[in-house]
Amino acid sequence: MTRALLPESDLFPKPLEQPLHHRSQATPLDYTVHLKGVTKVYPQTKFGLVDVNLRLKQGSFLFVTGPSGAGKTTLMKLIYGAERPDHGEVLVAGTNVGVLRGNRLSHLRRQLGVVFQDYKLIPRWTITENIAFVLKSQGIPRDEIERRLRPTLKLVGLQKRADCFPSQLSGGEQQRASIARAIVGSPKLLLADEPTGNLDQENALQVLSILKKLNNLGITVVITTHDMHLIQVAQAPVARIYNGRLHMVNADKTA
Amino acid sequence: MFKLWLTQLGYLGQETLRGLRRGGWMNWAAISTVTVLLFLFGISLQTSWQVSGLLNQMGSRLEISLYLESGVSGQVLRPTIEEYPEVTTVQVVPKEQAWKELLQDLGQTDIDGATEDLGQNPLVDELKVSVGSAALVPSLAEKLARVPGIEEVTYLDEALRNLIQINQGFSQLSIVVIGLLTLTAIAVITTTIRLIVISRQQEIEVMQLVGATRLWIYMPFILQGITFGIVGALVSWGFLSGTRRFIQHLLTEQPNFLQVVSDGIRLSTGQVILLPLILVGFGSLVGLVGSLFAVQRFALK
Repeated sequence: MTRALLPESDLFPKPLEQPLHHRSQATPLDYTVHLKGVTKVYPQTKFGLVDVNLRLKQGSFLFVTGPSGAGKTTLMKLIYGAERPDHGEVLVAGTNVGVLRGNRLSHLRRQLGVVFQDYKLIPRWTITENIAFVLKSQGIPRDEIERRLRPTLKLVGLQKRADCFPSQLSGGEQQRASIARAIVGSPKLLLADEPTGNLDQENALQVLSILKKLNNLGITVVITTHDMHLIQVAQAPVARIYNGRLHMVNADKTA
Repeated sequence: MFKLWLTQLGYLGQETLRGLRRGGWMNWAAISTVTVLLFLFGISLQTSWQVSGLLNQMGSRLEISLYLESGVSGQVLRPTIEEYPEVTTVQVVPKEQAWKELLQDLGQTDIDGATEDLGQNPLVDELKVSVGSAALVPSLAEKLARVPGIEEVTYLDEALRNLIQINQGFSQLSIVVIGLLTLTAIAVITTTIRLIVISRQQEIEVMQLVGATRLWIYMPFILQGITFGIVGALVSWGFLSGTRRFIQHLLTEQPNFLQVVSDGIRLSTGQVILLPLILVGFGSLVGLVGSLFAVQRFALK
């Protein structure tokens, strides 16, 4: 899994490394996420990201850590197109996210799932409704929605909570529901922004194991966190944002 | 493909209904503004149709009325008038007959009594001159006015001109009023829908994150605006038909000459069908513009 993550260096894959019959395909397609010299500075705070380079292959699992306000959320927003870089390019599945607008951005977002620290579930809807909403907003027919709901709920262990409202669920369950919502559209990339920030250790580990499980199914997972224990347990590569710059850290050095 | 369409239509319908439920009493503010607007619009449209109906009814009689000087007999003057080549027929209305008809029209039955009250018959003899072509009427009227023994010459053209003038004044006023009311209705619809958009901000944010297209997110709001317009149109159409029937009912119970008016203001079948269509069209347009304004501010954010 570690090999999937390539630091931006002389390991840059040369066209010759590609099998010949794949040469006609664009090289960036091999990378789910590719940030090239990305700078994003907020004028009000003068904080932000400076010259960030990152390559993630399909099926990678990456932790992004760093102090609060370092720019972890900004990094996520750049990837799902809620922010545009001042300089550089953000490529997701070969598409430059920074220039996408309107419906093209919408279609890109269908290929990725986002999980937030505060879950962002709609309180007036049941868990089923919250999850089905994603598919409904994409215009998917009802029987297809029904077909996809059950395995998704099962994956996050919420089969018995399907008809509960978010307020009737524990924090861990709500976060699992929001993961279910993020993956019900079968995305190739899952972005989890501080998914365990509001959870106790036990629930945090449960969420982590679900994310690992999804990763094993081939989904690229990026998690921002400052929970060192979680990182230790996960045994996954870590990137650290410090002073606006992103550095790769070996998983065993983070302790 | 067809099934997908149905699913999408179903979704849009559901979301529109949800928005309407969320609107609460604001819905009624929007609908009633549209109703008032369309009612006034409908009234002025209907009136202009009715006036032109009346004009047609009256204009089809190409007739010049000659009122003779007091004491001059219609029968005596008749041959002189018949000599004019433009004239097709001349009908004499003796003042006695005219008096009788007038009293009947006014619903008066005691003719002798009424005559006694006034001392004498106040009318004069009248000649009704039919003319072959409308174009000849004004010049002939001028010539006839110079004939001795004729006190006054009137022809429908004059009455028509007055009616047309009144109608023009009325329609200019109604254009101003309808213009102002249209702006008001758009403002109320925009405000209503914007409040609903704000109350659903959280859902919209999630929808944007999960890749719902802009059209998909904002279509229910636009449909909601159009619903306001259509409901307003139907209500105002109900009011309009009600008022029209009421007035016609009143007119049929009135003396004869008003019944003639009642015939004139009856709408043709085409107009009866066209009126609700125009109201719905105008209402939907107002709703569409209002809701577009409401979502535009958010979609641009």
